Amino acid sequence: MVDVTLAAVTGARCSGATLLGTWVSATLAEPGYFSWLETGLLLVGIAVSLTLFFWRFGPILRNIFRSKKDTDFSLAPVGRRVWDFVWEVLCQGKVIRQRPLPGLAHAFVFWGFLAFALVTTNHIANGLRLGFLSPESYIGRFYFLFAAAWAVLVAIGITGLFIRRFFVRPIWLGKKVSIESGWIAFLIFLLMVSYLGAFFVSPGGDAVRALWWTHTLTLLVFLPLIPHTKHLHLVISPVTVFLKRAGFSKIPPLHGDEDFGLVAGKDVTQLVSLQVYSCVECGRCTEHCPAFNTGKVLNPKEIILGVRSYLNELGPASEVALLAEARPETAFGETLSMEAAFECTTCGACEYQCPVGIQHVPVIIGLRRGATNTGAWEDTYGTKLFLALEKNGNALGLSAMERDKFIQKEAFPIFDGTQEYCLWLGCMGGYDPKGREIISDFARVMKYLGTTFGVLKKEKCTGDPARRLGNDLVFQTLAEAGLKAFETAKVQKIVAICPHCVRTIANDWREYGIAPEIEHHSEFMARYKDRLPKQASGESIVYHDPCYLGRYRGVYEEPREIVSLAGTLVEAPRSHERSFCCGAGGGLVFLGEEKGERVSHVRAAELAGTGAQVVGTACPFCNTMFRDALAEMSKTPPQLLDIAQLTARALPEMHGLGTRDQGSGER
Amino acid sequence: MSGVLVVMEQRGGNWNRMSFEALAAGQQLAAKLGVECSAVVAGDGVASLSAELTGKKLAKVFTVEHPLLKTYTADGYVAALEQVVKQAAPAYVVFPHTYQVRDFAPALATRFGQVLISDVIAVHDGPVFVRQLLQGKLNADYKQTGAGPCFVSVQAGTFRADAVEAGAAAVEAFAPTLDAARIRNKPGELFRESAQTVDLSAAPVIVSVGRGIGEQENIGIVEELAKALGAELAASRPICDNGWLPMERQVGSSGQTVSPKLYLAVGISGAIQHLVGMKGSKTVIAINKDENAPIFEVADYGVVGNLFEVVPALTKAVLAAKG
Amino acid sequence: MKILVAIKQVPERDAQVHVAADGKWIDESDLNYTINEPDAYALEEALQLKEKNGGEVVVVCAGPERVTSTLREALAKGADRAIHIEADDLGERDTLGVARILADAMKVESPDLVLTGLQSDDLGLGQTGVVLAELLGIPHATIIMHVEVTGGGLKVKRELEDGWFQHVEMPLPALLTIQSGGNKLRYATLMGIKKAKTKETKTVQAAAAAASPAIMLERVYLPEKQKKTEMLTGTPDQVAAKIVEKLKFEVRVI
Repeated sequence: MVDVTLAAVTGARCSGATLLGTWVSATLAEPGYFSWLETGLLLVGIAVSLTLFFWRFGPILRNIFRSKKDTDFSLAPVGRRVWDFVWEVLCQGKVIRQRPLPGLAHAFVFWGFLAFALVTTNHIANGLRLGFLSPESYIGRFYFLFAAAWAVLVAIGITGLFIRRFFVRPIWLGKKVSIESGWIAFLIFLLMVSYLGAFFVSPGGDAVRALWWTHTLTLLVFLPLIPHTKHLHLVISPVTVFLKRAGFSKIPPLHGDEDFGLVAGKDVTQLVSLQVYSCVECGRCTEHCPAFNTGKVLNPKEIILGVRSYLNELGPASEVALLAEARPETAFGETLSMEAAFECTTCGACEYQCPVGIQHVPVIIGLRRGATNTGAWEDTYGTKLFLALEKNGNALGLSAMERDKFIQKEAFPIFDGTQEYCLWLGCMGGYDPKGREIISDFARVMKYLGTTFGVLKKEKCTGDPARRLGNDLVFQTLAEAGLKAFETAKVQKIVAICPHCVRTIANDWREYGIAPEIEHHSEFMARYKDRLPKQASGESIVYHDPCYLGRYRGVYEEPREIVSLAGTLVEAPRSHERSFCCGAGGGLVFLGEEKGERVSHVRAAELAGTGAQVVGTACPFCNTMFRDALAEMSKTPPQLLDIAQLTARALPEMHGLGTRDQGSGER
Repeated sequence: MSGVLVVMEQRGGNWNRMSFEALAAGQQLAAKLGVECSAVVAGDGVASLSAELTGKKLAKVFTVEHPLLKTYTADGYVAALEQVVKQAAPAYVVFPHTYQVRDFAPALATRFGQVLISDVIAVHDGPVFVRQLLQGKLNADYKQTGAGPCFVSVQAGTFRADAVEAGAAAVEAFAPTLDAARIRNKPGELFRESAQTVDLSAAPVIVSVGRGIGEQENIGIVEELAKALGAELAASRPICDNGWLPMERQVGSSGQTVSPKLYLAVGISGAIQHLVGMKGSKTVIAINKDENAPIFEVADYGVVGNLFEVVPALTKAVLAAKG
Repeated sequence: MKILVAIKQVPERDAQVHVAADGKWIDESDLNYTINEPDAYALEEALQLKEKNGGEVVVVCAGPERVTSTLREALAKGADRAIHIEADDLGERDTLGVARILADAMKVESPDLVLTGLQSDDLGLGQTGVVLAELLGIPHATIIMHVEVTGGGLKVKRELEDGWFQHVEMPLPALLTIQSGGNKLRYATLMGIKKAKTKETKTVQAAAAAASPAIMLERVYLPEKQKKTEMLTGTPDQVAAKIVEKLKFEVRVI
């Protein structure tokens, strides 16, 4: 054995190189032999630890496997799953990128654990007299030092996280400070210290044995604690990330005559069970939730934990309703409320942020489905919306003749199969004065580019608000009618100004058929950016990423290219994947008054706060939400223009194009 | 069987003014057909009302009196009028289209194997009776094809009450035979709802104010107009958000949905969130300084002008007209 | 309590109407049909009465095959049974004729209460309920906002002109025509539609038209005045005078 003595280390004048030199030649000190008693004790310890582990883990696994099967699940595309696994789990990509400093600390701990895999195995094997890594061999020496380096990083990381949780106390981690997390942190720290300590003691002494047993006992205590705490994610979250439903915010189809959504425990599927048990309670979802940030009851983390509590308390076969209106005595009674479920704008920020693969939006919509499909949700505005969709085929309850009048006034060609594109108006484009302006301007852009297009004679709503509010009856009726309309008219390509229409037609309608390919007008215009005029306005334009275009569809650059043509692009503090919702989504724009601050006002203030002269939008709903909000903020608010309007204002007056009177956008 | 019989309506000794429109209609129909026109008043102690009709150009004024007719019941009125119609044997029975008539006239017509031609907006030669179908989208010509008296009710405002011709008429008392046991309903007293909360959905006339009003103090001029018209005051969202008017007066997608006879939009642009709350109004008058304001697309009458001038002028004119 | 609700299937409110070639009715080729909205309120009232007092709600509809979809919707909203009176010749019957076939189907059921909407969205005569009551020989009340079941029968709130109301006490069986807007309508749910599949729809044939109709719809045509925005111009006083004139004679609120 190479001789390393404490004296050599402490006695030497500490020049870094000398120390390092001394260090590098060090290696792990291990007990030379184990008595049968010790081995026996170890075996007993392992047995007890494993038993306690499975005592808790068993029921959890049972709950997951006993949950309803996911009928729409398929392993393909495997490539995507592998990539997500590599990036999110192995590289800790999301963990670090979305919360850099704590994320890095956590990454250290995680990578450290991976690095320790062999070490720990060998450690236990030693105790069973089956050790395979010798501290003297080159591999052994290298590996133990490698692990030691990681141990230092882990120790630093876990200390940092401890300080954050117990002293900085960010509210996202929960109102109550989690004592158990403190114990886990302590145990991890102890594991590292007891490992590192073995480099500084001489082999063969009692200290070595003491350290070894400390390390071992810590391991044996740690193991059963895993399934009892949120550290269960150590075991299952890699699986959760791998098995995520393909597609962001993918809403699973209902199956059979008895399926109405997440009504009770028996409707919770295996995937959802797996996900709720993976929750690490980090609160990243809640941190970015527009509802939570404006004083509403909804807390995405608590929804997930509420479902978990339900499963723990009542199990996956229970018929008791999930939404807790009738069970105020339960722990999850407050958070799994109908009120909370219907405050969600489905912006997806929660799902986007989750580092362990929990998909919040399908859960919340599932809860809404359970309430709406069974008639349990009795809301004046909701009912009005559903009746309007049933009777008038549009979300505003207006007569379809209003849309006809608009088409006639603008002299839009009717789609007859000869044109390249079908221009989809949508409810806002067809009936809202501002939406109509956006359509008119976009039509001018298309005419300028020489693209042929036509509008459908009759349009019904895509059903987006019904879908997000959980009314599958109305949604199915509208989706099937829409698919048939496209088929009858022989439409091949669709372009729309509304990201909600685009999302619903491209993705949600798949449950009932495949629609023709559809794109958003930003994607269309970006393709022709070289032919669109470059404006020298020098105006500063702050672009707001719509949730359904950004997070849902991954379209970030194309609208920016259009904005850059019209002026100078300015970014809002929260942009791209972190864009803060305008508040209209999830059908909420059709519902009544919201509690707390108005989401639209918070975002409008943020946008106006950049000092930009213009607020650029790419969604007619964002546009309508900001219009009132900006007007209320100041007497001279920034101009509010859609990217179509920004583009059309620079088009030359062509025959048949007409001019557009660009008012202040404020009426 | 000949002649026109007009059924007048009274309650508690007071006329329902629409009866005189029906009277004018009956007289004009009788004149066109060259036949006589008579009237009938039912109730208890209505002699003075009948006396008023003696100065009109009528053949007879039937006064149908009975204690059981003091308060209106469908059973009582149908039984009594059935007897009168059998005796008078008119070819046409004309009613004003009131709530009360809707309640009993169809049953009366059934007793004669007839169907009431209700809510008539015009009478053409034939006679052909014109009604509206599909919420006013179409007009329809109705004719009687069966034998027996033809029952018709006329819509308010179709004929003018002041067009009733004067003349001389004789009063004929008629005592119907009524059985108390056959009157099955027990009507209670009339009452009005206490106006605790603002129920815009019940208001027949609404004056609504929007951002064009500028300042909170200016709302007063719109309140004056509302008072003059006997209308309820409502507002678009921004006004309520500012706290200038209570939230319950908000009309729009997140407020109340209204469908009054008249909706006067003052300084309201007509954003979709507001339009969906008032698009069901029968008549919309809009005052806005912006000729491109979307509100004009749903208005029946529009004024592009300064509301601070138009509204006070309108208030003055309304008060003058009401006298 | 057995409640029968007479519902009618009418062309969608929103639909653009074209006069048929023969001018006697509208062109039905491109039409979508739906439940008559006032009848939806009658159905809602019936469902709420059932929820409060127990019993059964049976919906009755006369018409061709296509009315079965409206009956299904009514079942989906919560009605227990449906009766389809098959009749392809409703256009040739008048109110009395239609009420007769409804009465025939209803007599067999011996209902405690019959509800109908105030009037229909297409013809708008507003009489079928009253005529039906007369044929069934039961008392009726119209334009009802609120219904309460009492020991001896019903206590209903009747709407009158000018914001007046009246309570009326009535024995059962009785018929009521329900005012729109009294209750909040419920939306059809997925669960309701699924349950509707298991509920009974009975089909009966309408008796042949007994006599020829008393009144006939001769022809339909577009009214001369279409809805157009009339802009009023002039000085404020002139405009005010013009408005007052409209208020007096067109709108009739003064």
